[in-house]
Amino acid sequence: MIAFIIKRILTAIPVLLVIASLTFIMVRIVPGGPFDEERSLPPEIVANLRAKYHLDEPVHKQYFLYLGRLVRGDLGVSYKYVNRTVTDIIIDAFPVSLQLGLAGLIIAVLVGVPLGTVAAVNRGTWLDFTAMFASTAGVSLPTFVIGALLIFVFGIWLRILPVGLWESPVHLILPAITLAFGPTAFLARLTRASVLEILEKDWVRTARSKGLTENATIIKHVVRNALVPVVTVLGPLTAILITGSFIVEFVYAIPGMGRFFITAVINRDYDLIMGTTLLFAIILITTNTIVDIIYKLLDPRMEVEA
Amino acid sequence: MNRTFQLHSPSPLVGTTLLVSRFVLLLALVLISCNLSACSSNKKRYEPGTLRMNLGSEPPSLDWHTTTDSNSYDVIANVMIGLTQYTQKLECKPSCASSWEILDGGKRYVFHLRDDIFWSDGKPVTAHDFEYAWRRLEDPATGGSYAFFLYDVENAQRINTGLTKDLSELGAHAIDDKTFEVRLKKPTGYFLYLTATCATFPMRKDVVEKHGNRWTEPENIVTNGPFLLDKWQHEYKIELAANQRFCDGKPALDRVKMFMVPEQSTAFALYENDELDYVDNRSFSTSDVHRYKDSPEYHSFPLLRGTYVGFNVTKPPFTDKRIRRAVAMAIDKSVFPKILRRGEVPSPAWIPQGLPGYSADSGLPYDVAKARSLLAEAGYPDGRGLPPISFLYPNREDSKLVVEALQAQLKESLNLRIELMNQEWKVYLATRKNDPPPLFRGSWNADFPDSETFMNLFTSQNGNNCTRWKNEEYDRLVAGAAGELDRVKRDRDYQRADTILCRDECPIVPMYVATQNVLLKPWLKGLLFNALDVQYFKTVRIGETNKSVSGNEQPNRATPCVTREGPVSRKSDGGSQ
Repeated sequence: MIAFIIKRILTAIPVLLVIASLTFIMVRIVPGGPFDEERSLPPEIVANLRAKYHLDEPVHKQYFLYLGRLVRGDLGVSYKYVNRTVTDIIIDAFPVSLQLGLAGLIIAVLVGVPLGTVAAVNRGTWLDFTAMFASTAGVSLPTFVIGALLIFVFGIWLRILPVGLWESPVHLILPAITLAFGPTAFLARLTRASVLEILEKDWVRTARSKGLTENATIIKHVVRNALVPVVTVLGPLTAILITGSFIVEFVYAIPGMGRFFITAVINRDYDLIMGTTLLFAIILITTNTIVDIIYKLLDPRMEVEA
Repeated sequence: MNRTFQLHSPSPLVGTTLLVSRFVLLLALVLISCNLSACSSNKKRYEPGTLRMNLGSEPPSLDWHTTTDSNSYDVIANVMIGLTQYTQKLECKPSCASSWEILDGGKRYVFHLRDDIFWSDGKPVTAHDFEYAWRRLEDPATGGSYAFFLYDVENAQRINTGLTKDLSELGAHAIDDKTFEVRLKKPTGYFLYLTATCATFPMRKDVVEKHGNRWTEPENIVTNGPFLLDKWQHEYKIELAANQRFCDGKPALDRVKMFMVPEQSTAFALYENDELDYVDNRSFSTSDVHRYKDSPEYHSFPLLRGTYVGFNVTKPPFTDKRIRRAVAMAIDKSVFPKILRRGEVPSPAWIPQGLPGYSADSGLPYDVAKARSLLAEAGYPDGRGLPPISFLYPNREDSKLVVEALQAQLKESLNLRIELMNQEWKVYLATRKNDPPPLFRGSWNADFPDSETFMNLFTSQNGNNCTRWKNEEYDRLVAGAAGELDRVKRDRDYQRADTILCRDECPIVPMYVATQNVLLKPWLKGLLFNALDVQYFKTVRIGETNKSVSGNEQPNRATPCVTREGPVSRKSDGGSQ
């Protein structure tokens, strides 16, 4: 297992290098620069700013300067948030997105997997139709619609939950539910399909013929095996949820990472674009590695390979 | 068979689901009952002594040399004061400087500082703090975006462009602890306004040098204004605390909470739930304006922010000024307040009303018959023979509404085929600067309340003049007016220049002046707005609705939003030119 993890870390390095290089090139190809504003600054001021951030150097030199800093763990500075480094921004914002994302993930797993299982076990009944109707709605409805709906019902109409801000644990409820809505529906549909497939397997029939109760059969033999495809999607899903959702954080005024994935591009905040992209890549690689380890725990016959 | 039957019968998991459903139902009932009990109690709708407002987004920086945006200025203007400050009439009155002398025909200013102004760490504010701040602003290493504000000061531009490395050559010196002298290259009619802007505020050398880039964090920054920077949760909230040692006395508020809620509908919901005490354009949509327009909470006033349509005069067909004039006369500007619905004021001229040189006659009137005749005179009767004309605008909702209205109007009145070019904001800016199409949309905010800030925009050398229009007489008039200390002559020069711009040559068509729309809770008093859109909180009080807490004549109404010509709540004690 340790060899596997080390191998994964070593293979991640070239992957990250490729991602960093591609992102570096793409952000510089896009028209517009970090200091373009409605009122363009005098050329001498722009020259000072470009010199300050080494943007007056040839692009290849900028690239090697960036890589040199990256190797030293320096993600650079934000051109928009003048006195803050990219590391400062990530340190401030990532824990918020992590909390929100984990809450959303827990809701999605705790609701989605049982919902899908119940629907599959009760295939063709009203429970199945209801669960699938809800999950279709959950997959189809955009997050901003769900957010607005929840704010209206619980924040404005009933006035039992805050409409936004990040002041106390109560403020986590609506955004976490909003964030979890889509993934819950997706996991429910995936689990249902997977459970239905497993229910037809010979070993399930064997388990029943051995006299196991239906509950034990479903939990020990069906759900456990049906979870393999669910766990597969949990890797990227976790990465997406814990790095923040632009819409959820925007709608509920939550100071997380999600907004930077969009605003950094809008502002042409080069180092911040690079930093957020690399952060997402690192988290994605990490969660996929964890997923591979979980495969082994779910099914000891599986071999984990880098 | 028996097993198969069990598979389709209600399994124990169904029972679990029912249990969960019951739990959720119970939880909902508990929450609703909690809410009902909260409603029945006398819940406070405001926090006594605390103002809660929405900044909209994170201030990019609180370093007043490197930031340029209004969010940052909303914070800085409440924690710092400069040599002078604006009155509600946007005149300059003494602030750190108790008085000043204008010498050598307007080329030398000597400011005398008050003795009772202290930094938040207890040290006195001295002329050396201004000297350091102004030198730092011009130092190229600072990368100060508004360094050009001081280009009229001797050697400022040479220092900022690297022609000299010696910062002490800057024509701004501390003569002693309480006397600050500024030498200008030439007389400058608007110079005093610059001493009230954030970029020229004093700064502490020891603090900046000790903390480097982190000097603006709450634990490091020292300030001299009515409030102190107490907390800064990035991307979420800034909290200001009253400065007990402020030179003009402690402000009425104990605390200001400045949230950063980017989504308008969320901010508006917070206002409606009494979680914000006031909201402005950043926090409510056009439909909300419409809904509240008859409410006593609603106020609207014009800003010094003009929007225009620009012609690239180097691209046909707008190389011919008759066609530019025809387009200008074919636009009915009265439609903009109707489609934008925020109380916009149509602009007859580029200089906004209230500034030197304004005249409603400087621009061209709406006259479709005359416009058609001009177009025919240029060789395109009824628009025949003209190719489709590209019209560039950014992907913003208000811009879209405006350009679509213009497209329809020009089609109907002149039979012009306008092709709309919608671009992402930064791409739009790059296109407009590097290769502007024949038509483009533009807007401009005033840096200070003087015509110079608007008129300089269309001089030949100005980098923001995307029309490529150059006019020697216009340049001469604007340069002359900027240095003119005689108010009457200055007004006349600006008016003539505005006439050249909007009537004779027509490289632009002024469209409208934007407005600030605000909703104020009844318990909020004394909030001062001005046309520069800088919001000051030192006079704000949060109190009972049945008490007059700031001398307002109507205790149940908030302070009227004040325009330059509007009511004055504080006596101006002079100092303006």
